[in-house]
Amino acid sequence: MNLRKPWVTVVSVAVAVIAAACGGTGGGNNNSSSQTGTLTVWLMNGSAPQSVIDEVNADFKAKYPNVTVKVEIQQWSDVTTKLDTAFQGSTPPDVMELGNTLVAKYAAAGALLDITGKRAGFDNSATWLQSLTDSCTQAGKLYCVPYYAGSRAIIYRKDFFASAGVAPPDSIDGLLTVGQKLMTAHASDPNFSALYFPGKYWYGALPFVWDFGGDIATQSGGKWAGSLNSPSSQQGLTTLNNLVGKLSRADKTGDEAKQDAAFAQGHIAMIIANGWEVGVITDPKAGNPALKDQLGAFPIPSHNAGQTAPVFLGGSDLGISAKSKHQDLADAWIATLTGNKHMTEMATVGGVIPNTTSMLSLGTGINSTFYNAAKNSKFVPNSQNWASVESANVLPDMLVKIFTRQQDVPTATNAASARISTILNGGG
Amino acid sequence: MGLAIAPPDLGPALYQRFRRRLFPYALITPSVAVIAGILAFPLGMLVWLSLQHYGLRELIAHQGEWVGLGNYQAILTDPLFHQVIVRSLAFTFACVALTVGLSTLIAMLLLKVSNAVRVLLMSALVFVWATPVVVTVDIWQWMFDYEFGVINYLLTQLHLGNFIHHNWFDNPLQGWTVFVVIVVWGAIPFVTITVYAGLLQVPNELLDAAQVDGAGAWQRFRFVTAPMLKPIFLIVICLSTIWDFGVFNQIYILLNQRPSSDYYTIAIYSYRESFGVTQYGIGAAIAVLLVLILIVVTLFYVRETVRQAEIA
Repeated sequence: MNLRKPWVTVVSVAVAVIAAACGGTGGGNNNSSSQTGTLTVWLMNGSAPQSVIDEVNADFKAKYPNVTVKVEIQQWSDVTTKLDTAFQGSTPPDVMELGNTLVAKYAAAGALLDITGKRAGFDNSATWLQSLTDSCTQAGKLYCVPYYAGSRAIIYRKDFFASAGVAPPDSIDGLLTVGQKLMTAHASDPNFSALYFPGKYWYGALPFVWDFGGDIATQSGGKWAGSLNSPSSQQGLTTLNNLVGKLSRADKTGDEAKQDAAFAQGHIAMIIANGWEVGVITDPKAGNPALKDQLGAFPIPSHNAGQTAPVFLGGSDLGISAKSKHQDLADAWIATLTGNKHMTEMATVGGVIPNTTSMLSLGTGINSTFYNAAKNSKFVPNSQNWASVESANVLPDMLVKIFTRQQDVPTATNAASARISTILNGGG
Repeated sequence: MGLAIAPPDLGPALYQRFRRRLFPYALITPSVAVIAGILAFPLGMLVWLSLQHYGLRELIAHQGEWVGLGNYQAILTDPLFHQVIVRSLAFTFACVALTVGLSTLIAMLLLKVSNAVRVLLMSALVFVWATPVVVTVDIWQWMFDYEFGVINYLLTQLHLGNFIHHNWFDNPLQGWTVFVVIVVWGAIPFVTITVYAGLLQVPNELLDAAQVDGAGAWQRFRFVTAPMLKPIFLIVICLSTIWDFGVFNQIYILLNQRPSSDYYTIAIYSYRESFGVTQYGIGAAIAVLLVLILIVVTLFYVRETVRQAEIA
């Protein structure tokens, strides 16, 4: 996220000039200078770089000089609890960033404002990424504005690959072979992982499930049925279990939160990661800037040689509280952030995938791998109860049981599937 | 409180009697009000909530849906709940037994050592006690860390086996042992200092007399010290049981706020159901059951404590 390079400023300025020439953002209001009040915005940790937030607020201030914008940064780990509490009260934040898997829950509960009628006022609303738009849509109504997306690929160390004499693989079998060669080449390092895969990393596990034709759950006749125990899902998980057992020395009960810091330590050849994690790995404070030229990326390969596995399309949307007292201002602030000018910055400065297909060409260099991965992407079951599956840690628990050999794949997947069916169909 | 309305035509003597009767009630009214406000009201709300279906939609609308005992039925038929109860009880038993046992030994040690050592020991205990739980759990987390933990390093260096990349939480039995260590470590100071205060009250004459009569060290403890400490043991066991049964922080923080269901205590289970799965009614019902179980478990101790108080 913190790609502080001189050219970034140049690009930002150039973009600003172009955007200004192309005309302003939506949500025009003749009485804008007479509007007063405080607009509270909740953004997630690591979403927009501070420089972008500052510029958005400056642009907003120019239009609404008497409105104060308070941007509060929230943490992913406890955000659902905070959101529940905030929505329960009478003054929730006016604008909030919501992970795309969380929107359905809050929209169905009546927490979010229906903005179907305002869609045309947002830049690029005709070319928004389909998967993000879907996550914002409930029963044909729009409850949020797509913000940005993220998709995963494999980040690898070019120098390790070169010294082991291997090239990025184009199949899962190839991945195993390459990994084993790397393990042999680094046999003297007891901390070395060819593919570092923490046990609870379910976003990293889904591509393997999907690649063999499996899925988390399927819907028919309004009823959900968990399908992680289907033969194809089990095949994917068995394949992954084999890879993890042979190539990873990551904590089998840990999560991916620290994988970039671990990668920067120099005992890891490959991780499954988002595009913006390149910035974390090479961050001067938290990472190792010297690795910048040694990093490459390739898509997660399929078991069919030459193809890639579908990846989970993560991302965020921006919603407005149904209880907000400044709904017009909230609308205008979101329009500013997701307008052409700042969305371009999100891509170039923030390194995320922008919310519109019209900007996918902005992904260059290492980023292009991640942008391309988004084209072959899948999503979790679009159900208002999905957030509860996440909160109940069903997938991480299942993976830990498999990787630590506490349960075999059939037992673990049967239990997880049953739990997912229950939760998605509205039971506890 | 029906006494508050005094008939107007009462004679002065009768009025005096009412006054005398009423006065004590007036005196306890403030404390009753405070207890009702901070204990009875929330507990009542909890019971009321546990009888409703209360999800996110209901939370936002401030209006639950009455389901009677439905939530309790759902919990009692959930196999996970039975596992959690058995695990919590076993964990509590292990923690309380170890805490009281070790604390008593340390307290008796405190009686024997020189002043300087006693001050040192006491300071160490108070430091442990004074450190916030969140901080201590963070430190324990690093000590048991999978990659960089000092425990793995030490055990390997001491040639007790190969503990490089040993994951203490792979195997739930090992993981729970770690938690017993952490909880007992945190509980020892309070119990030790309390028992030590009790030991100071045991008259030396009695111990000397027992010694003269030929009682060994164990007999002196068993027949002189222990009976005199009984009220203190009762209180300490009762409090430890309540605390250890409701353990939350240590496990929740150490497992990065995402404990797997193998590591649920009843408190974590209740929290996950309420705030994780947004089923506040179910969460409330679990909390009510927690209180009921605690009442049953501690009833014996409370009764004994009250009896002791009556004798005294």
